[in-house]
Amino acid sequence: MRDDSSVSALVARAQAGDQPAWNELVERYAPLVWSICNRFRLRREDIDDIGQTVWLLLVEQLGNIRQPAALPGWLATTTQRECLRILRAASRYDSFGSSADSQMLRDQSGPEIEQEVLEAELHAALRTAFAALPARCRQLLSMLTSDPPRSYAEISATVPIAIGSIGPQRARCLEKLRRSPALATLGDLDAEDGEGGGTRASETGGARHA
Amino acid sequence: MRDIWDDEQLLAALREALEADEAVPPEFIELGKNAYAWHNIDAELAQLTYDSIDEPQAALSMRAEAASIRALTFTSAHLTIELEVSEDSVLGQVIPGQSGTIDIEGREGTTATIEADQVGCFLIRPVPDSPFRLRFRTADGSDILTGSITL
Repeated sequence: MRDDSSVSALVARAQAGDQPAWNELVERYAPLVWSICNRFRLRREDIDDIGQTVWLLLVEQLGNIRQPAALPGWLATTTQRECLRILRAASRYDSFGSSADSQMLRDQSGPEIEQEVLEAELHAALRTAFAALPARCRQLLSMLTSDPPRSYAEISATVPIAIGSIGPQRARCLEKLRRSPALATLGDLDAEDGEGGGTRASETGGARHA
Repeated sequence: MRDIWDDEQLLAALREALEADEAVPPEFIELGKNAYAWHNIDAELAQLTYDSIDEPQAALSMRAEAASIRALTFTSAHLTIELEVSEDSVLGQVIPGQSGTIDIEGREGTTATIEADQVGCFLIRPVPDSPFRLRFRTADGSDILTGSITL
C-alpha cells in the first residue's frame, strides 16, 4: 500500500474535527465520485443523492479509517455500490428495462474501477503539485493547457514574457511540476502503461460515451 | 512514472487533471462539505445491514406476491430498525418494540417528526423522494441515527 502522507494528514485532521481538512478531502476526491456516477449515466439529481450518501458514509467511517491511503479505493467502490442501488431501484419500477440497463446493473470488474482510482489519485496529485507552483508557472501552464490551446503569440501578449522565452520557461515549469513532492508519492503508478496519461485517459473518455 | 513522462505527456496529464476538476459542479462539492455537519453527532449510529436491493434476483421474484418493493434493516449496538417500502409509504419497526419520536432528517434538516407506538411501529407517508436519515429518540434517553436512505 502506498503511503500518501498528505491524505493521512487530512484524514487525521478531519477525524479530530477540522472542517477545512474535510473540505480539502472532498475537493480532492469529488472528481472521482463524480466521474464514476457519470459512467452510469444517471440523472443529475440521482448523482447528487449518491454524492451525499457517499460523503455521509465517509463521515460515519472517519473514526474507523486505519489506512488513509486506501481512501480513494473505498470511495470508488462505495460510489459504485450506491450507483448500482439507484439503478436497481429504478429498474424495479420499469420491468421492461433495456438490455443495456441490465448490463449496467452488473458489478463492474475490479481492474476497471482500480484504473479509475489510479487515475483519480494521479489527477489529485497533479492538481496539488500544480497549486504549489509559483504563480507565473501556474499562469503559463494554464494557458498552455487551455482548450483550445493558446498560441505563443497570444501568451506573450497576455503574460509579460518574450515569445523566445516561453519554450525554456515552459520546460522549467514542467520540471518543477515533475519534481513536486506531491507527485513523489505516486511511485510507479502506471508502470504497465508506458504511453503515459494522455493516451490512457482518452481511451477512458471514449469508453464513457460508448 | 514521473521520470518516464516527457514534457508533452506531463502537460497532457495536467490538462486532464484540471479538466476533471472543472467538470465537477460546485453544488456537488458543497453537498460533500455539508456532510461534515454530521461528524461527532451525539447519537448512536445504526448501520445499514440489509437492503433487498443488494439481492436483485430474490427481490424480483418476491415482487409479484408482496406489496413491499424494498426492505432495509439498520442495526446499532442496542436496537434494530426495519423498513418496508411500498408504493406510497414506508412502514417501520423498532426492535425491541418501544415508543419514541422519529425525526426524518432530509438534506435541509428535519422534514417531519412522527411517533413510534408502544410496539415500535411507525409509518412514513408519502415515501421521501430525496435522501433522508431517521433519528429515533426515546424518553429514557436512547438516541439512534440511521445511515442515509435513498428510495
